[in-house]
Amino acid sequence: MAQGTGTERFLRTFAKAVSAGPILALTVVAVLLAGCGGGSSGSSSTTVAAGAGAESASSEAAGSGGANSGGVAEQGAGAGSTGGAAGGEGSDGSSAQASPGQSPSSGRHGPPVPMPEGEPEPGITPQQRREATVASMRLESPSVTPSSNGPALLPAQYSSCEGQHSSPALRWQGVPEGTAELVLFMMNLRPAQGTLVFDWAVAGISPKLEEIKAGQLPKGAVVGLNSLGIKHYELCSEGRGETYIFALFALPKKLSPRDGFDALALRKEVTEISGNVGLLAVTAVGG
Amino acid sequence: MQKHSRRAARALLLVAAALMLSAVFAGSATASPVWKFNGEELKGTETMVGGAQKSGLTAWGMTTTCDNFLYKFEIWNSSGTGKGNVTELPLYNCYTDTTCTVEAIEAESFPWPASLTTISGSNYMTVKGVNVWILYGGWFCPLWGVWAHVTGSAGGLITNATESATFSASSFKATGSELNALGSSVEWNGFFPAESFQWHREQALSVS
Repeated sequence: MAQGTGTERFLRTFAKAVSAGPILALTVVAVLLAGCGGGSSGSSSTTVAAGAGAESASSEAAGSGGANSGGVAEQGAGAGSTGGAAGGEGSDGSSAQASPGQSPSSGRHGPPVPMPEGEPEPGITPQQRREATVASMRLESPSVTPSSNGPALLPAQYSSCEGQHSSPALRWQGVPEGTAELVLFMMNLRPAQGTLVFDWAVAGISPKLEEIKAGQLPKGAVVGLNSLGIKHYELCSEGRGETYIFALFALPKKLSPRDGFDALALRKEVTEISGNVGLLAVTAVGG
Repeated sequence: MQKHSRRAARALLLVAAALMLSAVFAGSATASPVWKFNGEELKGTETMVGGAQKSGLTAWGMTTTCDNFLYKFEIWNSSGTGKGNVTELPLYNCYTDTTCTVEAIEAESFPWPASLTTISGSNYMTVKGVNVWILYGGWFCPLWGVWAHVTGSAGGLITNATESATFSASSFKATGSELNALGSSVEWNGFFPAESFQWHREQALSVS
């Protein structure tokens, strides 16, 4: 009764207020907004699942009006799935567990999860871990242009098929202690005529060095035969898009190959003894 | 009397304004998406399994594809936000689009924590702590014998209609995710449908 009186007094005062109408409207809007607090997140969701239209409707109702377990229960039962039991589940969801080995029914939502054939890929063996070459060195080139979608771009002056072009500048960090020699290869990412293509191969690089200037060779370095059978940097990219890999290997012992060495043979030797490499991928602009 | 009415009106106006403000803040507090099954917010933890067909990692102009890319994923809601942990990721039938072979590949350092976010009206799942080792082989592979260590975070767009997450360059950009390997950024493309494996089998998973 006291409450009723209070309410009456409240309404009377309210009615007498000059701006009673707008305030009432504001209050109603505010209460509605507060009531649908979860609705804002609901608005960002896309349509719920696949399957039956009734499910969508039910989920939407749950989203905008708060959890509507009754609706969901109906929907679960309607789906005729094990989820039907879930409709009546408690807040801990514990009653909905499917029994082991239960086969999927037509109540499956969304696309099927593809089941793989065969065994998973082999994991890494301890021996592979020991013997693999780790990309622990950082190899960069001030001559290339960074690209937001893919390898950095190697300008035409380093990759054009016309005229003489020079090798790009390279610099590196992270040569491990105890390195006896550095060996650099530049290779096409994709093979040509079934074989790995070498564009440049340089050995005998001092481990104290941290860069090679554009168009120059470090003192004491020797150059191997590339895939064109010539002893210098030669890259002829007839169009943009081909990717090349610079690989700088740190060797724990000197291999000291002779000038004009076989790049592929040295590469094999290097990979077997080197545990550290710096890699740089570039895409030739060509021209 | 008129004075009292004005005071009451002012008080009501203040109350209304406070209510509106609280409503607005309540709305933004629940803007973080949560996991739902059949439209109801997930309580407790659920185990999801899923997998992608021909999901690929692209770096250095080379794509490493795995025909099947399964995963096991624990999900729960915490403080109004959907969370998760990737706990297993076996990979099947992996190869590259070059002469490089995949000698070994292994995802490790589980769990990889994940969380849901809403960005510009779309829901995303960001997985952090991604850690995959790939050993390339092949006599004519320029990366022969080299370990590629893929690390970083991956953001995928969640689509309720297909109960799936799609990882792509645009979802990475939207979530500010980045994967790296061998000093280069790695693009991950894959469509991952999900399926409840435990308490909510055959219920519709959604995020909102």
